[in-house]
Amino acid sequence: MPPDSDTIERPPPPVLQRTGMLGTVGATILNVLQIMGEAAFVFFATLQRTRLRSRTWTRIMAQMVRVGTDTLPLAFLVSLFVGMVLVVQVAAQLEQYTQTILGSIVGLAITKELGPVIMGFLIAGRAGSAIAAEIGSMNVNDEINALKTMDIDPIAFLSVPRFIAMTLALPMLVLYADVIGVAGGALVVAFDPAVKISVQQYLDNLTQWINREDIIVGLIKGFVFGMIVSTIACTFGLRTKGGSEGVAVSTTAAVVWSFVLIIVFDYFIVRLAILV
Amino acid sequence: MTTLSGVSIEITGLRKSFNGTPVLAGVDLRVDAGEIMVIVGGSGEGKSVLLRHIAGLETPDGGSIRLDDVELRDYLRLPPGGKPFRLSMVFQGSALLNSLTVAENISLRLKEHHTHSATEIERIVATCLGHVDMAGTERKLPSELSGGMRKRVAIARALAVEPQIILYDEPTADLDPLLTEQIGALITRIQTTRRATQIVVAHNLALASEIGTHIAVLHEGRIVDYQLANALAHSSHPHTQALLRAANLKF
Repeated sequence: MPPDSDTIERPPPPVLQRTGMLGTVGATILNVLQIMGEAAFVFFATLQRTRLRSRTWTRIMAQMVRVGTDTLPLAFLVSLFVGMVLVVQVAAQLEQYTQTILGSIVGLAITKELGPVIMGFLIAGRAGSAIAAEIGSMNVNDEINALKTMDIDPIAFLSVPRFIAMTLALPMLVLYADVIGVAGGALVVAFDPAVKISVQQYLDNLTQWINREDIIVGLIKGFVFGMIVSTIACTFGLRTKGGSEGVAVSTTAAVVWSFVLIIVFDYFIVRLAILV
Repeated sequence: MTTLSGVSIEITGLRKSFNGTPVLAGVDLRVDAGEIMVIVGGSGEGKSVLLRHIAGLETPDGGSIRLDDVELRDYLRLPPGGKPFRLSMVFQGSALLNSLTVAENISLRLKEHHTHSATEIERIVATCLGHVDMAGTERKLPSELSGGMRKRVAIARALAVEPQIILYDEPTADLDPLLTEQIGALITRIQTTRRATQIVVAHNLALASEIGTHIAVLHEGRIVDYQLANALAHSSHPHTQALLRAANLKF
């Protein structure tokens, strides 16, 4: 049990005199900074402890099934309807001009933006919350302390497989969402009388405008969002205190933080991609 | 199972506060190798906090803990394979990993540190389960076990690494008198067969007198009374007397 293997060693919270609004704002800022610090610790500690041994792979595969395979039906449904809604909306806007560019607009929106972000949200809500609740429960039930007394590093044992699984699974889910979303759009193009172009025109325009870089940007987003969701879920799980109520608080906070960070990082990735 | 000798524990001036409230205010205690030390006291007196310090789960504000001639801080920094002896803890709620089977829980440490072959691990699991009268439960999940069975599996998990120190946090909490007696007998049997040093935090004074070599009474953050187990009833310390009176009311 080396000291650095402790999940999160926090000093006792400072006794803050909350004098009105300023005090509350100050306390909130301190809390946010503390969470960011803890998340950074979990992230770097996880990277440092990533060793791909056969036992780790077994756990990674179990998490991959949980994060990826089990999410496929839901991801299918969500992506399909996102593609369908997008075609209906864009087709209505383009009715007065030309609907021939429908494929490119829908395709770019799905591959570059909606696919990664919606899959990120889906995984944060489904797998991220489950991870935060699971590790949080382990924490309040002394299971993590039990690991420490067995000289098992909780970060290596719990965080590493979840981090790798989610970081690998999310780009794959993004690719899956891209295909299903585009197919959903094609369905509407085929059967909705308000859309005046053929499926062939829709697909031709889509393939003409979407290049490899657009898909890669979407995959990079999935990769980064996977790291964010797993790191945040593990961080909140490991900082859980105070029984079942604490688990509920951590789970909610993990989802909210993941959503916010996905949007924030989405902006920076887009900015960087445009510069590059 | 090899027979091992225990490790002595020397606690000097141990202090710990939480949010400015002192919980341990200078604990001094010596536990001899191979003995069963029972720490008793009222709720919230810091018994579990003391135990968690010995397990290395809490960082003290001051004072020291020595295991034989090794400072606990230095012991904790050693890699698992380089530690001169092993320490196990049985938690109040058993703390079994719910996603793992009984056998996986017991063998977790051995598998993670690659210290034994699969056949050896299988044998150790069977022996440990036999030791706690739980043979045949290898494939069960913790959720399929009763509170007493979970506690015994937790003890089997602690025994699997052949520890020289075993810490028990309220091992009989929430158990009926019959199960309490069984767990007490098990702890005594471990002393006879393993010679490990055992520290038991308990509320139950009857159990403490029955299994303990020595009993230490923790009150207001300090050890206020220290007795041979069979002499506890004759202690003249007012707090020990108060505890005994309260216990007599219950039994």
